[in-house]
Amino acid sequence: MIGRLFSRTSRSGIGIITIALPLSMFVILSFTASSFFTAQNLGNVGNQITALLIVSLGQLIVAISGGVDLSVGSMLSLTSAIIVTFDPAIVVPLAIAAGCVLGTVNGIGVAIFGVHPLVMTLATATFVQGLTLLVSPVPGGVVAPAIEALAHGRLFGLQPSLFWCAGAILLCWLLLSRSAFGLRLYALGANPRNASLNGVKVVGPIITCYVLCSLSAVAAGIFLTARVSTGDPTIGAAFGLDSITAIALGGVQLSGGVGSVPGVILGVVTLGLATNGMNLLGVSPFLRMAATGLLLLGAVSLQRRKTIGV
Amino acid sequence: MTDPGTLDHHASGSSAGGEMVRFEGVTKRFGANVALKDVSLVGHAGSVHAVTGENGAGKSTLMNLLAGVHQPSAGTIYLHGKPVVLAGPRAAQQAGISTVYQELTLLPNLTVAENLYLGREPRRLGMVDRSAMRREARSVFARIEVDLDPDAHCGDLTIAQQQMVEIAKGVAVDARVFIFDEPTAALNGPEIEKLERLIMSLKRGGNLVFYISHRLDEIFRFCDTISVMKDGSHVATQPASELTRDTLVSLMVGRSLDRFFPHRGTVRPEAPLAIDVRGLVPVAGAPAVTFALRRGEILGLTGLEGQGQREIIRAVAGQIAPVSGEVVHHAKDGTSTGLAPSPVAVARTGIGFVPEDRKSEGLFLPLAIERNIGIGMMRRSSIWSRARIDRPRLTGLLESMNVRATGPQQEVQALSGGNQQKVLIGRWLAAGVDILLVEEPTRGVDVGAKSEIYTLLRAFADDGGAVLMTSSELSEHIGLCDRILVVREGRLVAEMPGAVATEETIMTSALTGAPFRAHAGAAA
Amino acid sequence: MLDTADRSRGSRLLNVATALPIAYAGTLILLICAYMFRPALLSPLLLMLIIRQAAPLGVAVIGQSLCMRILSIDLSFGGVAMGVSYILTSGYVPGGEAVLIACALLFGATVGLANAFFIVRLRASSVIVTLAMGLLLTGIVIAFSQFRAPGDAPALLKYIGQSRISGVPLAPLIWFALLIPVAWFLKRSVLGHYIDAIGANPRAALATGIPYGGIVVLVHVASSLFAVFSAFLLVGFVGMGSLDIGRDLALNSLAAVILGGVTFGSGRGGVLGPAVAAFMLTFLFNLLTSFGLGEPSKLMLQGAIIAVAAIAYSARTKT
Repeated sequence: MIGRLFSRTSRSGIGIITIALPLSMFVILSFTASSFFTAQNLGNVGNQITALLIVSLGQLIVAISGGVDLSVGSMLSLTSAIIVTFDPAIVVPLAIAAGCVLGTVNGIGVAIFGVHPLVMTLATATFVQGLTLLVSPVPGGVVAPAIEALAHGRLFGLQPSLFWCAGAILLCWLLLSRSAFGLRLYALGANPRNASLNGVKVVGPIITCYVLCSLSAVAAGIFLTARVSTGDPTIGAAFGLDSITAIALGGVQLSGGVGSVPGVILGVVTLGLATNGMNLLGVSPFLRMAATGLLLLGAVSLQRRKTIGV
Repeated sequence: MTDPGTLDHHASGSSAGGEMVRFEGVTKRFGANVALKDVSLVGHAGSVHAVTGENGAGKSTLMNLLAGVHQPSAGTIYLHGKPVVLAGPRAAQQAGISTVYQELTLLPNLTVAENLYLGREPRRLGMVDRSAMRREARSVFARIEVDLDPDAHCGDLTIAQQQMVEIAKGVAVDARVFIFDEPTAALNGPEIEKLERLIMSLKRGGNLVFYISHRLDEIFRFCDTISVMKDGSHVATQPASELTRDTLVSLMVGRSLDRFFPHRGTVRPEAPLAIDVRGLVPVAGAPAVTFALRRGEILGLTGLEGQGQREIIRAVAGQIAPVSGEVVHHAKDGTSTGLAPSPVAVARTGIGFVPEDRKSEGLFLPLAIERNIGIGMMRRSSIWSRARIDRPRLTGLLESMNVRATGPQQEVQALSGGNQQKVLIGRWLAAGVDILLVEEPTRGVDVGAKSEIYTLLRAFADDGGAVLMTSSELSEHIGLCDRILVVREGRLVAEMPGAVATEETIMTSALTGAPFRAHAGAAA
Repeated sequence: MLDTADRSRGSRLLNVATALPIAYAGTLILLICAYMFRPALLSPLLLMLIIRQAAPLGVAVIGQSLCMRILSIDLSFGGVAMGVSYILTSGYVPGGEAVLIACALLFGATVGLANAFFIVRLRASSVIVTLAMGLLLTGIVIAFSQFRAPGDAPALLKYIGQSRISGVPLAPLIWFALLIPVAWFLKRSVLGHYIDAIGANPRAALATGIPYGGIVVLVHVASSLFAVFSAFLLVGFVGMGSLDIGRDLALNSLAAVILGGVTFGSGRGGVLGPAVAAFMLTFLFNLLTSFGLGEPSKLMLQGAIIAVAAIAYSARTKT
């Protein structure tokens, strides 16, 4: 079983580096930063990475199909803006509807018109960011108590972020590893031509992937807004590239067909620990941004592609 | 009732049952090319039916019609006596026709069981029922007596094992007709034996197996009925027991050569060298090859498909980096240079490479003829220098090659296949190269343009150039080449002058690996 | 035979009609809109100002169009512009103006080389590489300049950005001075022919012996250098350092190049179309501002334009 896990053709994508990175980071931080190994800080890490984990799981679904979604950050911001702007009774359905529309547009552009996913989602990301600023131009606003409770109320004395993580992981795992949709998605991402020779449809599932990815951004947006108890129209700005970095660190192949939920968890933990560590060591938040860029460059360099260019 | 049908009926003998598949008057055109001409053929239940012929005889096209990959331009396919329309691969599978393509269609990142049930997964509570999938996969494997782990990833399997999975896919959906397209190309001895057992068990189960191959050994070993195709027509269908190797080969070839080849040159053995290939190992695991190409000569690399001709010519052209060995270019002025394995270096040295797939690797389809040819004229210029396209020369060249186009500004994608090929060769003629490496000089080219391209290549060689070519058409080698090298399993097994080579001598060497002299006497 | 000839002639006419960059029609429509609703925008003085304002984008667009013609992309413009602004105005870099400008150019070339290294050598996706590079540069520059008041721009750049020659602002003249030779060079040189060939069919370019990798390196270095020039103009306008400089450069240049008729996957297009598109976008933003629309609407329009143009071109090349 272990041998199969590391098999060259395994679709989990988990390699030695994927596992070693978060572990070694954990060990190093335990020794260098005295405040790292405290319940409070670990709880902080959990909170910080919950939203990223949810978005990255959505990104994983798109990546397995062979695409990528840069618009998740804007969708997250839009969710935040919606929550503090409209009537609390309708904000959640409204955000979900917005996510469905965005995902459908992305999916149609990519699957039907054949626009490169990076260009398509970059364009919609810009559009949605503009829309977000139109809805709520400045940070602020009040989050309804019912929504706030989603990230603050304690159930059985446990952190709510645990439930969010567990829920997202479970849903994504069921979808990818247990459902027929997931199986066909892996086939599609590995080789669309052979998959369709085997009777797998192409267009519908790809559009579904983008919709699911946008919905994951909506979920992360609800959690994050509830967590910080206020709206911010640029709160998601970093999530597009962060989620790509996280999945790339988790062994997901951006060319499609390879990637797994455990891998993404490891990738998110790696990125979360790196951010938290720099936080504890007093590194400027902007240098942390630079470090993410560096990690992303490193992670994509590990992947082998055949073509040069986009 | 058509002739082949009656012939077949005679052949049915002990093993074959009722009629299962019937092609009636089937014709297939690809644009102007006729790939199949009015083919009628019957396959019976409980039979292993070989479909054989030279490369390009139409056997794969015929089977692709049955597999639903292409649809016939005219004629009808009957399944169990009823006419069927096989609109696509999926429709053919649902009709009970299972195909094991030469290029396998398994997904490398899925397990064996998943590949087996992809697209029709067993469900339980809405989720994929993996235990049911494994169980059923095991039972299918038990039925065809192969030992495979349903949980192994297909990317980890050998080619032979992957074929077993493809066959199991057919068995799992209770297919009745199995098509094998050159299944033994990548198999070793024990694996072929295993395949034989499998085919025999399919036969015992009352299925029809179409076996496409031109390997005589296996045809006689596996098959009870043999159909021979030639130039898109059905030549004969006979019981294997009534044929010998010699009669089969003469059915496959035996045709007067087309008259459209230009005169052959007289290359003296002491003619100056053009390219010297020493100990070249094109890809890992291949044997080393050594040969020379002389000025004024057209040298052909031939053999059955996939025997390593492609790798050799590509390594010489710098398209793939060889494992070891050297390629030395001897220019007309007597200087010699070792070639670095890069397309840039090769083009600079004065060698033009014409790839077999001209649309994806050769031409810049959306660009004008002038641009496509002009690229060759710039091969020695610095990228900073002015792009000089010698227009009088270009128009002269287009005229002498008889390229039918509205003018040098026309986009190449608007041209016919033959004219596109002329533009591609013209690129190197305009570039003033003295050696051409040509893969498939006339693939997808109509007959008239074929003859013009042959003349073009011959004139190039007569002019002090040299041509190394590969082709899947034996007649092209025999008609055009001064010298032919037969490749088998990566080795050069025979060398023969084009003037005395026949399809029989080439096929014998290609099939058995026997050198030319050994059987030249026997044939005489 | 006749039938196909007729059809091909017909389709060729159609091709010519639809092959014109969207930017030409777009500019015309905008000018008509302005004539009807905001005629003041069409006064020579304002038009001149808009062209001056378009100059930095126009210069960046030259680089972006080069990248996209070889089927690559450069989204690190923002980071480069910020880096240049920092080098020129922070006071950290010792030396006179010439040294500062040389340092900025060297910095640009280095970024271009690094981008090309990841794209050619490691075969990483150019979108992700250049986005990551932008992130990296932005992070570093902001972190370093956090506690410092922005300094003054070099006098030479201020002069270029703000002065006029007999009424004509200098910046657009510099834009044209870069644009025209580049367009001419690409039309006439071996490199230009090679770039077209790569755009038409990268595999064939490789097999034919065109130095593909080298050209990608060259183009990415050139692209970063154009971003540096663009930043020179921007810093010159503002007169001092700013962390806002060049924030929209990458996206706007992408939009302009797509509007200007250069598409992914086909590599077709020239230098003039994108230049017109750079003017069109700037004019559009001015028009929107005159209608009282702010930053959010601009972003939405930008996104919509990129998406619609990309879909339109993809749909066109598919048929």
